[in-house]
Amino acid sequence: MPRGYWAAGLALLAVAVVLGVAGGAVSLSPAAVLAALAGRGDAPTLAIVRDLRLPRVALAALVGVALGGSGAALQGVLRNAFAEPYLLGVSGGAAVGAVLAVAAGLTAPAVLPLAAFAGAIGAAALVLAVARAAGGGADVRLLVTAGVVVGAFANAGVMVALANAPADQVRGALWWMMGSVAGAGWRQVAWLAGYAALALGALVLWARDVDALALGEEPAAALGVDVERAARRVFVAASLLAAASVAAAGLVGFVGLVVPHLARAAGARSHRALVPAAALAGASLVVLADLAARTARAPLELPLGAVTALVGVPFFLARLRGARG
Amino acid sequence: MSRAFPAARRRSRAAGPSPPGAGAPSIATVPFPNWTAVLRFLPCLRAVLVAGACVAAACGRPDARAAGRPSGPAAVLGVDDFGDTVRAAPPPARIVSLNPTTTELLFALGAGGRLVGRTHWDVYPDAARAVADLGDGLRPNVEAVLAARPALVILYASADNRAAAAAFRRAGVPVVALKIDRVAQFAAASRLLGRVVGDSAAGAVTADTVLATIARVRAATAGRPRVRALWPLFDDPLYVIGGGSYLSELMDAAGADNVFGDLPQPSPQVAREEALRRNADVVFSSPAGARRMAREAGWASLAAVRTGRVYAVDSSLVLRPGVRLGEAAVMLAERLGAAAGPVR
Repeated sequence: MPRGYWAAGLALLAVAVVLGVAGGAVSLSPAAVLAALAGRGDAPTLAIVRDLRLPRVALAALVGVALGGSGAALQGVLRNAFAEPYLLGVSGGAAVGAVLAVAAGLTAPAVLPLAAFAGAIGAAALVLAVARAAGGGADVRLLVTAGVVVGAFANAGVMVALANAPADQVRGALWWMMGSVAGAGWRQVAWLAGYAALALGALVLWARDVDALALGEEPAAALGVDVERAARRVFVAASLLAAASVAAAGLVGFVGLVVPHLARAAGARSHRALVPAAALAGASLVVLADLAARTARAPLELPLGAVTALVGVPFFLARLRGARG
Repeated sequence: MSRAFPAARRRSRAAGPSPPGAGAPSIATVPFPNWTAVLRFLPCLRAVLVAGACVAAACGRPDARAAGRPSGPAAVLGVDDFGDTVRAAPPPARIVSLNPTTTELLFALGAGGRLVGRTHWDVYPDAARAVADLGDGLRPNVEAVLAARPALVILYASADNRAAAAAFRRAGVPVVALKIDRVAQFAAASRLLGRVVGDSAAGAVTADTVLATIARVRAATAGRPRVRALWPLFDDPLYVIGGGSYLSELMDAAGADNVFGDLPQPSPQVAREEALRRNADVVFSSPAGARRMAREAGWASLAAVRTGRVYAVDSSLVLRPGVRLGEAAVMLAERLGAAAGPVR
């Protein structure tokens, strides 16, 4: 990927972050925002800028990093440009794990991603098993169909689990299903950053395997890659990324679908470049989507997942049309 | 009651009580949209609440000193429904109330003029409409609330509001979280808010008036035969008033036994055939609901429908557990044919 695109990507993220901190439900002058960042100003303004907007923008960026990286790796390993954690049911499985954990009282920011991870891995294994049983683990259409089915099953599971739950828990789960970074705090940011660094680092480390897998199973095996093992561990790392983002912000769809395409359009070919580039683009996309979510109808907030779906679905349809033609 | 709260009589009839999307489980008790909430704030909550309490106490103290009071921990006014101690401070000059019931109550306590923010759904009394609309009351927009520079935020004490409470306290703004689903909770909230706004007499009078009116209704209906009542809130799926709602208490005072009074939730979702099996003698409903019920063949077998005892009630009067609870009890008793006397 040309160096200019990296610079452009970083510049875009910087602009998104500046807009995200400067904008919000309340309009503050740039001078007031700068003063608050420097620690000057009255208590409400300080709280708005430093305790609400900064962690929120940071969390949104990390959610985008996790989903973008996850999507790029999944698209490579599944040889399917429409693979992404949300469509594959991986995010849905993560949501089931997280909702069950909360219902069981396990809510620590360190533990929640692990419960979500267990749900995500379970859903991923189920998706692969369903696709294989239907006659083609490699058939991308079967895989996506299996993902949609498992995602729907996960949704149903959450709904049944909540049938008799108190109203606040039901509202919580519904909010979760639609995604939001409204409750962002620095502890969540730190935990998501840790999980994202771990899983993204692993994916970059295994990028050569993903490159080989993207060629197909036989060429990959011919190149000396242990196909089963390589595919499995990439899938696990991508699921961990998706799960950590779900634990922090609920279901935010289509980011993992859109940004790898942008990264490829910018010239990223090998996954060593593609995964970080998709992560970078994902960060900008989610920060901007969250800014739209909190300003479009302020003081009411739109669900973040709804905003990303409004962007992602037309993109998905356009790509689908392009792929057929 | 209406002397204490003259605006109550002049309230607009046009606005429905429940917002679009207030679907279900909390339609009667929490008129907010239903899809808001949080699961992930619960972490670190305890630490934050402790820290928040310190912030609240710390910011109360300099004010107390400024007012010439002795320093040291301020007197305890009560405990809110998140279990946090509410301490004495100079009555707050700027209040944000994020619950339609407490907004109405603050006007009744004469503190309506100090409101600088409310939720989208707080439209009673009429004067509340002039207060800035800050959005939702569940998972409120913390940024918008802080920008109103409140000296006190009053929240609905639902678990999904704990994160917001912690955020307000971190920003140095005291919070009182109140859960008002039952008559007794309303009375307790009225007394506590009276003390908080510096007029404990008004808080006590409001609480006592409501309780006395309901007691009088109960006495007036004591000798009458009890009837079995159904109160559907929402048709499809069917949500009804359950035993956890203040409306079940008001029906009881008015001489009716709620057929779903055995369910602990304020507004459970129930199967329609179960509602038919429990065959109520009377139905209370919104005017639109009453018309639908008369029309729909599915309800024709219900005793209340056959005998024409489906009573349309003024939603603006009954769908908040607020200062007009006594008036609502009188109205229900009158619908059932008991003369409960004028509303005080």
